[in-house]
Amino acid sequence: MTALRSVALALAVCAIAGAQTKYPAVPRTADGKPDFTGVWQGGSNRIGSWEEANASGGLGGTPPAAGAAPVATVAPRPPSEPPPYQDWAAKKVLEFYNRRGIDDPDARCIPPGIPRIETFGLFPMQFVQTPQTVVILYEVYHVFRIIPLNAKHPDDLEPSYMGDSIGHWEGDTLVVDVTGFNDKTWLGPVGSFHSEALHVTERFTRVDYNTINYEATLEDPNVFTKPWHTRTTIMLRNGTRLREYECEENNEDVISYEKLLKDDSVFRRK
Amino acid sequence: MQNRTLLCCSFALASAAALWGHHSFGAEYDANKPVTLTGVITKVDWTNPHSYFYMDVTDKDGKVANWKFEGYPPSVLYRTGWKRGVTLKEGDKITVFGWQARDGTNWAHSREVTFQDGKKLYFGPPAGTGDGGNAPPVEAPKGANE
Repeated sequence: MTALRSVALALAVCAIAGAQTKYPAVPRTADGKPDFTGVWQGGSNRIGSWEEANASGGLGGTPPAAGAAPVATVAPRPPSEPPPYQDWAAKKVLEFYNRRGIDDPDARCIPPGIPRIETFGLFPMQFVQTPQTVVILYEVYHVFRIIPLNAKHPDDLEPSYMGDSIGHWEGDTLVVDVTGFNDKTWLGPVGSFHSEALHVTERFTRVDYNTINYEATLEDPNVFTKPWHTRTTIMLRNGTRLREYECEENNEDVISYEKLLKDDSVFRRK
Repeated sequence: MQNRTLLCCSFALASAAALWGHHSFGAEYDANKPVTLTGVITKVDWTNPHSYFYMDVTDKDGKVANWKFEGYPPSVLYRTGWKRGVTLKEGDKITVFGWQARDGTNWAHSREVTFQDGKKLYFGPPAGTGDGGNAPPVEAPKGANE
């Protein structure tokens, strides 16, 4: 029986391996640049439509089914190093951790900032690309980024949640420079706060038809001892559309937080 | 050509980054209080940023308690196979697995819903989402416990 299962699994794997060759080359725009146009999912390395990639234990997907077909993936990226906080800042991060993330700005429907928004794998994002501008629309929080190419940051920036993005091409990689942040977002891991000095350099590389490799380098001399590098894969999800997400509609968690915060011993780690 | 691997049925592949969720599980719910309850749906709130359903649960003595369960927003539920007003309706009998609130009331974070025909769907994310999990994101600095 075990041998039969192994044979069945091998056949299934071979079938999927064969299916990988069906994907076309990276599409390009009229000016020869890689074309990012389409709907994508961050924080995943599974190949296929949203339904295929997230079935059977995927993000927000269905429970794993006995005997479910294998899911094709790209190789996972190397894990990011922990953010290199200065000692005083690391203590503050630990306090947020010990409070189990109850202070997360996103729970109050605050825009997530960058690079965190690229990792919300439960929600799709859509790239719209012209020779002059790349626009990224996000279902989650219904926020967007407008990325002018070969432009300069405005000289009248006010601190903002999503910062100001400008981009340029380095070969086939879209490099995006983001500055002008406020200090009200987290970078990703629980408690990963930053200052208004945050400067993010992102690199989007469509390495094959299905996959964008995403790399971000974060500099913030007020809280870090050195730049922090983080990464994820962003996977193509043909056939998915962005739906409405209106965070402030019925945010009952904030109400329960107010009750919990009257006595943090109920939820503190120690 | 392309650096691909094929792995079977692995949900561990989801990167840790993807688990940086919208809000803290651990502040409100206790991963050490798993609950599996069967009951009859009394109300469904199909709302952002999270949906809720309410369910009457009858104990062995015939006493009925109304439970509240939190879960995904509508857009996530749509993509997972749920349809508003169809998949889960008032009067439906289901079994739900989740984790109870820290305050001990009849309130829980839902995960897996099992319908009467045996079909299973997720209504909410796994335990630990958004609360930092089991390891802090930074190493303890010198003097952290002073």
